Parts: sequence; C-alpha cells; structure tokens
Amino acid sequence: MSNPTSQSLIEQINLLEKKEISSLELTQLYLTNIEKNKDLNCFISLNDKALEEAKKIDKLKERKSLLQGIPLAHKDIFCAEGYKTTCGSKMLENFISPYSSTVFDKLKKSNSIMVGKTNMDEFAMGSSNETSYFGNVKNPINKKRSPGGSSGGSAAAVRANLCAFATGTDTGGSIRQPASFCGITGIKPTYGRVSRWGMVAFASSLDQAGIFAKSAIDASIALEIISGFDEKDSTSINENVPKLINETTSEMDHIIGIPFKLIEKINDYKVKQNFLDCIDLLKKNGIKTKEIDLPFIEYSLPAYYVIAPAECSANLSRYDGIKYGYRCENPKDLEDLYTRTRSEGFGEEVKKRILIGTYCLSAGYFDAYYLKAQKIRARITNSFKEAFKNVTVIAMPTCSNEAFELGSIQDPVKMYEQDIYTIPANLAGLPAISVPSGLINKMPLGLQFIGNHLDEGKILNISHEFQKITDYHVY
Amino acid sequence: MSTNSKSFNWEPVIGLEIHVQLSTKSKIFSNAPTEFGIEQNLQASIIDLGLPGVLPVLNKKAIEMAVRFGCSINANISNHAIFARKNYFYPDLPKGYQISQLDDPIVGEGSVEIEIENEKKLIGITRAHLEEDAGKSIHDKYDNSSAIDLNRAGTPLLEIVSEPDLRSAKEAVCYLKKIHSIVTFLDISDGDMSQGSMRCDANVSIRKKGETKLGNRTEIKNINSFKFVEKAINFEISRQINLLESDNFIEQETRLYDSQKDETRSMRSKEHANDYRYFPEPDLIPLEISNDFIQDIKNSLPELPDQKIERFCSEYKLNSYEAEILNSSKEMSNFYEKIAQSIKNTKLIAKWMVGDFSAILNKYGSSVEESKISCDDLTDLLQKLDEDKISDPAAKKIIEILWNENITVEEIIERENLKQISNEDDIGELIEKVIKENPKQLEQYRNGKEKLFGFFVGQVMKTTQGSADPKVVNKILKDKLKQ
Amino acid sequence: MKISEDTLKIISQLSKLEIEDVMKDKILKELESILLMVDKMNEVDTSKIKPMSHPLNQAQNLREDIISENIERDKYIKNAPHSDNGYYLSPKVIEQK
Repeated sequence: MSNPTSQSLIEQINLLEKKEISSLELTQLYLTNIEKNKDLNCFISLNDKALEEAKKIDKLKERKSLLQGIPLAHKDIFCAEGYKTTCGSKMLENFISPYSSTVFDKLKKSNSIMVGKTNMDEFAMGSSNETSYFGNVKNPINKKRSPGGSSGGSAAAVRANLCAFATGTDTGGSIRQPASFCGITGIKPTYGRVSRWGMVAFASSLDQAGIFAKSAIDASIALEIISGFDEKDSTSINENVPKLINETTSEMDHIIGIPFKLIEKINDYKVKQNFLDCIDLLKKNGIKTKEIDLPFIEYSLPAYYVIAPAECSANLSRYDGIKYGYRCENPKDLEDLYTRTRSEGFGEEVKKRILIGTYCLSAGYFDAYYLKAQKIRARITNSFKEAFKNVTVIAMPTCSNEAFELGSIQDPVKMYEQDIYTIPANLAGLPAISVPSGLINKMPLGLQFIGNHLDEGKILNISHEFQKITDYHVY
Repeated sequence: MSTNSKSFNWEPVIGLEIHVQLSTKSKIFSNAPTEFGIEQNLQASIIDLGLPGVLPVLNKKAIEMAVRFGCSINANISNHAIFARKNYFYPDLPKGYQISQLDDPIVGEGSVEIEIENEKKLIGITRAHLEEDAGKSIHDKYDNSSAIDLNRAGTPLLEIVSEPDLRSAKEAVCYLKKIHSIVTFLDISDGDMSQGSMRCDANVSIRKKGETKLGNRTEIKNINSFKFVEKAINFEISRQINLLESDNFIEQETRLYDSQKDETRSMRSKEHANDYRYFPEPDLIPLEISNDFIQDIKNSLPELPDQKIERFCSEYKLNSYEAEILNSSKEMSNFYEKIAQSIKNTKLIAKWMVGDFSAILNKYGSSVEESKISCDDLTDLLQKLDEDKISDPAAKKIIEILWNENITVEEIIERENLKQISNEDDIGELIEKVIKENPKQLEQYRNGKEKLFGFFVGQVMKTTQGSADPKVVNKILKDKLKQ
Repeated sequence: MKISEDTLKIISQLSKLEIEDVMKDKILKELESILLMVDKMNEVDTSKIKPMSHPLNQAQNLREDIISENIERDKYIKNAPHSDNGYYLSPKVIEQK
C-alpha cells in the first residue's frame, strides 16, 4: 500500500471505515511528514495533543461522521480554545484563545484531529505569505517560490501531504490563489455560508472561510461540515446546506459563462492558452459554453482596495495593548501605549492598509473613496446577476501568473494585482473555486469557477467534471 | 452692573442629547447580563471585551424598546435602520469603535410637549438611535494606572437628540423630566440618573434676541442629575454672555460640568478635532422593521403621561397641577391609582400625596419606589383621615413615624394616643371644663372680644393633645360660649 | 491623489501608528501608488447607483433578550498584558477627572 497520506480524503475515509488504518497511525504518518518538511514553515504551532486525541477517537465504536479520525490543519486565523491563535502577527504572538470559532468547533465535533495551525500572511493581508511575522512559507513544488497568500500555509500543507485537508479564509482570493500556486483545489463558499464566529476579522463584508483539499469531492465533504447557519453570526445565511458530495457527483446540465473580453486582456499568453485549452477540453466533453459580458469587473481591484482597508482599519483598532496581545515596554502615557504598541506589533503591510483605510474613511474623502467603491461594488454585483440569468457557472483563470519567486514582487500594487480575478467573487459574495489546470514553467496554474448565490454544489460539480477528464490534481 | 441691562438681550439656544440605558436583561450585542453594581469585569463577555473574531448579534428587545419610544413621540420609524461604526480610541472602548447609528437611525423626527409657567411648548426631537455603552475607566484606584471595568460595555443605549428648541435651563430640565417620565412609563428604562441610566449632554449657545442665526455652541458632557443640568446650563449661559460682552469669542468645544465648583471647563481643547470615520457596520446587515411590527407596538403602548394627566383631571376631578405631580413618575401614578381604588375621596388622596407624602420623599431624598411608607400604609392612613378618625396634625405626625419605624398606622395611633375625639357628648364635657377654668376670658368674650374664640379652641386641643375633631369643637364651642 | 505629509500625519494619528522619518518617503510613495490605482474608480459612472455595503441580501438575524453567556473573567484576563484584581490596566488617563 502506498503511503496513505498521499491518498485523497475520500480514500482515507474508506481506509478508516474498513479499519485498514487507525486514526492514530494516520495521524502519526502526518506528524512524520510535518517533521520532515519543517523547512516549508507551514505551521505556526502544532497540536501536541493530536496523538492522544487520535487514540481516543480510535476507541469509539461507531463512526459518527465521515471525517472521524481524519487529521486536518487550521489556518491560524481560527480561534481554538486553549490554543495559540496568532493570525501571523507579532500582535497576537502569545494570544491563547479562551473560546473556539464555529469552524473549529464543527470540525472538532466531527471527531477529526487538528494536527496544527498553519502559517499565513499577517492578519490575512498579503498574497505571497511574506507578510507573516513567523517567516514565509515555501511552495512545496519549488521552495524558491511563494505558496501564495494569505492562506499559504494551509495550501502548502495540503500539497505536501502534511494533513488530509485544511481550512483557509478568503477575503480577496486568499484561498483560491494559493490553491492555484500549490496545484490543489480550494473553495470559498457564498458569503454567509460558513460562520465567521471566531475567525479573526480582516474585512468583515468580504471574509469567508473555506477549504483546501486534493479534489472537488474531498473539498465537498469538508465544506459541508463547516457550513450552515450560526446564530452567533448575524451575517450567516439561514438556509439548509445540501448534501454537497451528492451535488458534486450528480448529473447536472451546465452552461459555462466565459467573459472573453476579460480573457483577451490576459498578458501572459501561456496563462491565456492554458485557460482556453481547459475550456476546449470541457466543450469536447459535451459541456456548453456561452460568452458573457462582465462590465465593471476591471474596477474590482480599486474598489476592493478601498473597502477592505476601510473595514480593516476599524477591525484592527481593538489591538491596543490593553485587553490582550502585544503591549509596548514602559509606555509613558496612553497615547504612547497606543502608538508604540500598534507600531511595533503590526507589520508594514498591515500598517499600510490601516493607513489607506483610515484615509478613505476620513472627513472629506469618504464620498470619493468609500462610497464610490460601494457603488462600484453594486455595479459589479449586478453584472454577475445579469450573467447568471443565462449561465450556470462562470469560468476564468484564478490568477494571471503561476507562483512567483519569493521576494520578487516589491511594488505593492503589483502584489495586489495577484487578486484581480479572485476579488470580484468576494465583492459580490459569490462562491468560487480554483482547481488545478495544468503546468506552465513547471508550476501549476488554476482554473476558477464562480457560482451564483448558494450554488456551491454547481461549482463543485463542474470542478468534479473537469477533474474526471484531467489528472492535474493527481500528484 | 451694567452687564445686567445688556443681558436681557441675549437668547440662549439649547439642545439636549439624552442617553437612556434600556432595561433589557442582556446586552445589546451579547447575551451577558446588564445588571448594575456587579464586581469588575464579571459581566464582560468575550463580545463585550472585543476579543479577536467575536461578532455582535442584535438584541430584539432593544429594537422593540426603541420603536416603543419612537411611537410615543409620534416619530417616523425607519423600516431599514442601519448600524455604523464610530471610530475612536479609548481604554474603555474595547473594539476601538462604538457600534452606533448615523444614517437611517431607528427613530426619526418626532416631538414632545412640555408645559412651562402654564404655557405649552412643542419640543422637536431630531432623532433617536441605538448604540452600545462603553465601559468605565477608574482613575483613582491606582497611582500610575487607570483601571478598566468593562461591565457596562455593551449596555443598550437610546440616544435621544432634541432640536435646539429650548430657550432656558428651566425648559431644558422640564424637557428632560418629560423624557424621563416617557421612558419610565414605557418601561424601557429605570431612568435612574444616579446610576447613570440616564445621562445628558447639553449643547448651549447664545444669540441676540431676534437673531435667527445660531451662535457658536459648546457641548457640556455627561451631566447626571436634573439639578446639575439646570446649574450647568445656567453657568454656561452666563459664561458665554460674559465672553461676548467683553468682545471675546466662543470656542466650539466640549466642556465638562464640575458640580463641586459649579462651573464648566474645557475638556479637550488641545486635542485634534475628532474624526469619527463613521461607516456602515459590516458585521450587521440593515435591520428590517416591518410596518406590522410597528403597528403591533403602537397598539400595545401603555397610557402615556400626557394622556394620564388628562384622565386624572377628568376622572378624579384633580387640578392640572396635582395631576402633573402625581404623574411625574410611573410609581407615583400607580401609587395614587391603587389608593384611589379603596378611597372614594380622590381629592383628599391627591392633596396628601402632592403635599406631605411628596414632602417626606424630598426630605429623605427618596423615590416613590424606595419609599419607606408602603402603599397599604398610606391607604390606611388616608382612610382614617377620610373617616375623621384622626386629625390633620395627627396624620402629619403619623407620616413621619411611618417613615422611620417599622410599625402600622393603627399601632401609631394607639401608642401616640392620636385617635380623634369626635363624639359630641365627650367634646361637650371637655369644653365645659375649659370654660369653667377660664372665667376671665369667658367674660371678655361675652363682652365682644370675639378673637378669644381661638384661645378656647387652643385650650380644648391642648387638653386633648390635638386629637379632638376641630369641626366638632368649633360647632359645640360656639353654642356653649353663647349660653 | 497626492497625499501630503500633513495628511499622512493626521491619518497616522487617527490610526495610532507612528511612521518613522526614514520610512516616510517610502510609505508616502506606496500610498500614492495605491491611491493612483484606486482612482481608476472615477472612470465609472455611479450617479444613480445605490451604494452596497454588504453582499448579503437578507434581513438581519436577531437574538432574543436572554442571558446565556458563561463569563469566565479570570480566563479572559490572563491574556491581558497588565491587569490586577480583575481590572484591565492602562496608563493613567489624566485629561479627564
């Protein structure tokens, strides 16, 4: 038998059900992989109780959930009671959460095992994992390259077989871009599908939790568990969650919408060709496509870089050195406490975004920036609404490039442009997924499907169709 | 002083921002209790502390209470209320922003009527919005630190903003009392100013009479009693008049009222103008308030002070002064109506409640709620008065004793021998005795010195220690003196 | 949009961040380049558009007025860098008395 850690989640569940492997054995194998791959810097902290928990799970007579006994990793943005939750920041380096996020709770209740908490860009602000206070993660495929960000640790951990699947969060592409860079599947569901309770906030109207896995089927199993209404989050959607694995594998008629005007503008011909090849392949397999127009979508990036910083500037005001977190040494007065705590505790990127957000909200600039961005957000959302009148899903590349070399992007705007294809789904609150679509320059690339409101099932289904006819996700 | 004559030309313009703590059981955005006086930070939940990752969920009851207030001042209720973040740093503001409302507040324009020196005046209310209270910073506990207690953080507040329609400190107090009675009658707040359940900021400016433009205004923060509202505003008015009359400029600023020195002083003049950077709270989507919900609340509104005053005048035949005092608080009003159920003489009840009962509450600085005299005791007492079983002076005495001792009315009458003698035979005997003992005075009286009638009354009362019924004494004494 | 040094000073004071002198030029340049990208928004006509602050098109979920929080002060306060006897401590605030 090949090493079970390199197998898919669904195969591992099969092994556990048939008792061909125990949770303890599986967890031990993953811990060994983690130890061997320390240099990837995927984890900020490890769960030293993982083996103990696995032993307990093995003693249970019945399997109460598909995920029972499965080792997973959490992005270190999810509060977990009794564990450090750093959010990749010096500010929370020693913060031990006194409560658990709903995502953590739900997975814990499914009897899965958390092996550790993964590295990330500080407060989820970054697209390369280089803004983490704990150092960047390396891409397992090529260690000179970035794993993407902000959920880079989770993406790299799944790719390097350090866990069966991992959680992540996506505010502007933080699940899909790293999934694309690491050659795995990453899904961000509809805004409100997964509770944000206990997930450290970056930009509240954009943040959404999701899953990294090896395939659409694997992702569907984990996503179903973390989804659902939560009375602790008043932005959570009060709708039943369908059996996602059934939706993923059922027969569906798709019409894929393709925004050709946008595709034509892709600079890198390899990226463009990769996308067009994927569409051809789907067409050859009998799936219909239709050209759509998504006006205003190119204004997603500017609108996002007003809205996200504005919200983050307020969300990060609570880090003041009083109730928890970093506090500067010997503050001489209150002002000094605030200013030094925040200046020393936050990294450069976070500070930059707080400044931008503060600027956009300040007197005299509010209408020109914040309000304008909200209006553009409305136009973009409407253009999606129009498009979904005629198509079931929309396809576009996840990213305009493959994983870049660590340290190679210094210009902030260049870095922000990483997210031009992923941000629109966040602005409109729509579900979106990235699946591996082949290699360019020996690095993986991602194909993105965006679905209508609550249509996680449809984007998982088309992704599964794609993965049935390709082997880019097999490694 | 020369300034005095000029002063007549100045017109104060005052608006109040009243913060009312709503009496929900749990906080506005968390399910922690809102009780007052709990040990530090024992009712600060992770939401109130603003831990990373926590989210607010709005308390339905707080909305209901705000809508109740809105309906009672005939205001527009927003069908689509929006919450906003107000950003500023302060140690007792755990998130670094306060969840409040800016655009689309839950309660829009409305008004209340006040009566001042027998004239009615309509005071406009600009808006009333929901927000969360902050915690408390205690500065005198540690030498080098301020202690932060976040128990109060997240208590629901209704901020009621008036138009600048008030023209004197008296009007301001009258308006504040009106709001106080509305919120207590509606049962949406205990209105206890000493515990901070109701706090008030006053915006004060002055202008020359006849002028329509507003002058520069100052905002006096956090005034916590009716008395201080009057004093602070009066101080501020004369301060501003003095400044303008000596050709000075009034700085638009926030001031603090120091009740010990009876003065206002500048709070943060050196600090940069605050820029609160309000924006829609992304953790809370717009709040839908349906017309059905509003209608249901309208239908279930309790009788409000104004309606009750009117009813008291017609139903109990009271004058408007009495009716108003009896409706100055919900407890007072309930107290009265409970007694009126068992005593027909409603004027008598009003006279004593407005008079001696109110006086003793004032004397001991107590509210009706904390009264040491129970409703039953007062009923007993007034019943005895109504049936002429005790005299007015005896009743006054009993009230004082009731307040200070744990004893019944009956027992006091017994102990102090306060039973009123109204039997005509008994009183006749007494009078004869008194007449006999004072032959000189009797002669003078019969010779025309009628003033001495009072002397005889006094003597009778003296021998009975005030317990003889004066009506009966008067009647019989007149007869006996003529004989 | 150009950001002046004064504006930078105001927004850094509002957000309680200190920008070291050596960093000022770099930060100013970066903020400017970000705002230049953001200014592209002006190409879009939004005159009749209602701003959208939230992607969810539903009414707000509310909660009943029930006390159910189990408050564990001593556990929460363990994360505080400076506390005593159940109080969080900040440097003395003197501006208000």
